Amino acid sequence: MDRMLEVESLVKVYGDGKHAVRAVDDVSFGVERGEFALVVGSSGSGKSTLLNLIGLLDKPTAGRIWVDRTMTTGMGDSQTTVFRNRKLGFIFQFSNLLGDLTVLENVMLPIQMAGGRNPREYAAELLEVVGMANQMNQRADRISGGQAQRTAIARGLANKPSLVLADEPTGNLDSANSAAVVRMMKSMCERLGQTFMVVTHEPREFGEVDRVITMRDGRAVEGVAPEVLR
Amino acid sequence: MLFNKKGSLIGAVLAVTVGILVLHVNFVIFQGLYDAIVRDITDYHNGDILVTDEASLIDRPDATILNWFERVPYVEAAAPRLSTSAEINLTKNGQLIQESRVPMLGVDPIRDPRASEAHRTVSEGSYVYARNSIVVGRNVAEDLGGVRLGDSLLVGVTDRWGQDQVRRFIVSGIASSPGGQGLDYTTIVHIDTLRDMLDREGYTGSVMVRLNAPEKAAEVRDRFLLSFPNDDFVAETIEESAEQQLAGFRSGIAMINMIGYFGMMSSAFAIVTIQMMLVNGKTKEIGIMRSIGARRKDIMVIFLTQGILIGFIGASVGTGAGLGYTFYAKESKLSFNDSLPLEVSYDWYKITQTALTAFALAIVASLYPSYRATRLLPVEAMRYG
Repeated sequence: MDRMLEVESLVKVYGDGKHAVRAVDDVSFGVERGEFALVVGSSGSGKSTLLNLIGLLDKPTAGRIWVDRTMTTGMGDSQTTVFRNRKLGFIFQFSNLLGDLTVLENVMLPIQMAGGRNPREYAAELLEVVGMANQMNQRADRISGGQAQRTAIARGLANKPSLVLADEPTGNLDSANSAAVVRMMKSMCERLGQTFMVVTHEPREFGEVDRVITMRDGRAVEGVAPEVLR
Repeated sequence: MLFNKKGSLIGAVLAVTVGILVLHVNFVIFQGLYDAIVRDITDYHNGDILVTDEASLIDRPDATILNWFERVPYVEAAAPRLSTSAEINLTKNGQLIQESRVPMLGVDPIRDPRASEAHRTVSEGSYVYARNSIVVGRNVAEDLGGVRLGDSLLVGVTDRWGQDQVRRFIVSGIASSPGGQGLDYTTIVHIDTLRDMLDREGYTGSVMVRLNAPEKAAEVRDRFLLSFPNDDFVAETIEESAEQQLAGFRSGIAMINMIGYFGMMSSAFAIVTIQMMLVNGKTKEIGIMRSIGARRKDIMVIFLTQGILIGFIGASVGTGAGLGYTFYAKESKLSFNDSLPLEVSYDWYKITQTALTAFALAIVASLYPSYRATRLLPVEAMRYG
């Protein structure tokens, strides 16, 4: 098998001395290329911290991470930024679109930052796929939550990332929109062969997936059987 | 994308605009006042070059000096003058109305109007034209109880031997100038009459020289002094002859300019504050942009561009408004409470320097906020933004 993600003895400690909190405590696991993986667990279990560390949005206290065979721990700031832009895609719980830009401009932005060609055409194509083609010239702060999340998915996929990291992507949506977003992500995973790693506290919404990592008190517990999620 | 705080941006632009405008207004008013004083001293009193004698009076025949100057191509005209103080009585119908001690200036009625603008200050009547005519400054006329044209004045001076010499003059004109910088506090008579009264035949107090190229004053002065090496002449340009009157004013202008530049510094602090507000208000957006691949450099460029934009618009609008005010002041011959009209000029070097300084300050003021924006960690920025 071809490993897309390898996490080894990962530790993240916030604070120090008596007040130190081990948000991620000696976590090791791997995700194969093209897999759809879930990170589940209760609030405060360390799911989002783990995702931020893998996404290079935060620095680990100890341990190592490999993404697409590249060790990302210990990278400098500019290297991290370039890597994040080229290899990783993010989908956040609150979509985190830039409200002053249009839907289309939001999706174009990562492509432009990477110096990609035809950002407008490819962004429009992605918006077509997520069903937002007719809203592409709307300002991002004037669309509904479901539409914003679909736009965020398009933005997360804009640079054809090897690994897409989604933090509670359905956490802020009603059940109909949640189902649509899940369908969309799973279809992207299948169609484009991208690896998805999704943090959620509602694993049942995702149905059958390739891998489940359960976080409990900062530690990764051996995966829940995918069938349990059916 | 991070520029949307229009109100804040307008505030920052206004800060730069106002900073520049204050400097322009300061320049128009104070430099205009200074130049107006220089203009009036040149026009009415000292000319572009003033020749005097080191000891007291010039005892060479004035024709020698005047002929020398009139051969120089840069010289428009030269005129001799002689000053003293006089006791003046105004009597009407045989009754003494008032008496006063005033300065008296003797002028050459033919040459003086070419070398000075004093004759233009005569608001009623005409300039000195006869040996017994006298022009009275407005303030002297008032001090004497209201002198009118055609009035007879008894004028007494003390001659070189200490004897009182008295003559009767007929008022031919009243002199009045805006701001009183002209000859409002003086009386003017024919220079030969004054020489007679003082028993100073052939003597001259000063020679006022008007140039058609004022910037050549120092050169003409030096050539004059070289031509008369054995005389005790003192030849001074307007800056030298009016030094005492202008020195205090110059330091005043320097201080006002400094206050103006402090004002501009305040604008820079306003920009720092506003840019910091923008950075703080856009923390989350900065985090999002960093998470989708914006480098620190990209974030810095955004805020620096904003600073450049603020500086450019502020400097342009401020300079435009300043030039508008300068144009208005120049065209309307701006003066305050009927004082002397300001001598307004477009100092392009200063205008450019002010605009560039403001532009540079706006960019410098954006450096720290831009740097702060780049130091935000994406995860922290999104968490607390």
